[in-house]
Amino acid sequence: MSSAIDECIFCKIIEGTIPSEKVYEDELVVAFWDANPVRPVHILIVPREHISTLNDVPAENQILAHIGQVVVKIARDFGVADSGYRFFINVNKGGGQVVFHLHAHLIAKKEDVRS
Amino acid sequence: MADCLFCNIIAEKIPARTVYEDERVVAFHDAYPSAPLHILIVPRHHVPTLNDIPDGDDILTHIGKVARKIAEDHGIAESGYRFVINVNKGGGQVIFHLHAHIMAGNDFGMKIILAGIGVSIAWRKLVSWIRPRS
Repeated sequence: MSSAIDECIFCKIIEGTIPSEKVYEDELVVAFWDANPVRPVHILIVPREHISTLNDVPAENQILAHIGQVVVKIARDFGVADSGYRFFINVNKGGGQVVFHLHAHLIAKKEDVRS
Repeated sequence: MADCLFCNIIAEKIPARTVYEDERVVAFHDAYPSAPLHILIVPRHHVPTLNDIPDGDDILTHIGKVARKIAEDHGIAESGYRFVINVNKGGGQVIFHLHAHIMAGNDFGMKIILAGIGVSIAWRKLVSWIRPRS
């Protein structure tokens, strides 16, 4: 298991050994731009703790509620909270998960957001 | 809320194919599925959107746990599924009562794209067979 974490690209982004365009961080999560955005806004919200998938969140762990609060905050910061956005988590290969470190996607259509 | 479709489903005034319920949420099959398995998880308490969850409310953690249970019950936890919340109109939200989608099965969008590519390749082959270039 430790080797899986050693190889984890999101753990390296959280440590800062791989660069990313961060938009938010706190003691529980880090949020940054998806390297290959599928929409004008495409942010990933990643817990600092290495949890492989949504299925692996321990029973008493409140991380999902916290991720939800951070998603709403980022949506407000980008001015898409009222116009609309999608919040989704892909789970395992058949669900489209590529990096096996739990992460939530926030995507929105708003244009010229980076400028 | 009297005019809310999901409140009426929760109150059992409108029928739905319920797959799970507890004191905080009700889960049922989407009436217009966009995937072979398409289940909605809806909090009993009427909250319009994800933006409106009060600070300190852990409903999303509970919805996540229920999503995992439903995925296990339907044999898709390991093969994979998508957990989606659409927020407001531009995010594709249609019913303004917070709900999470669980979707699994074939990706029909990708199948249509692949079928389109297949047809265009077959068409070009047919044309070049009928009218070979000299």
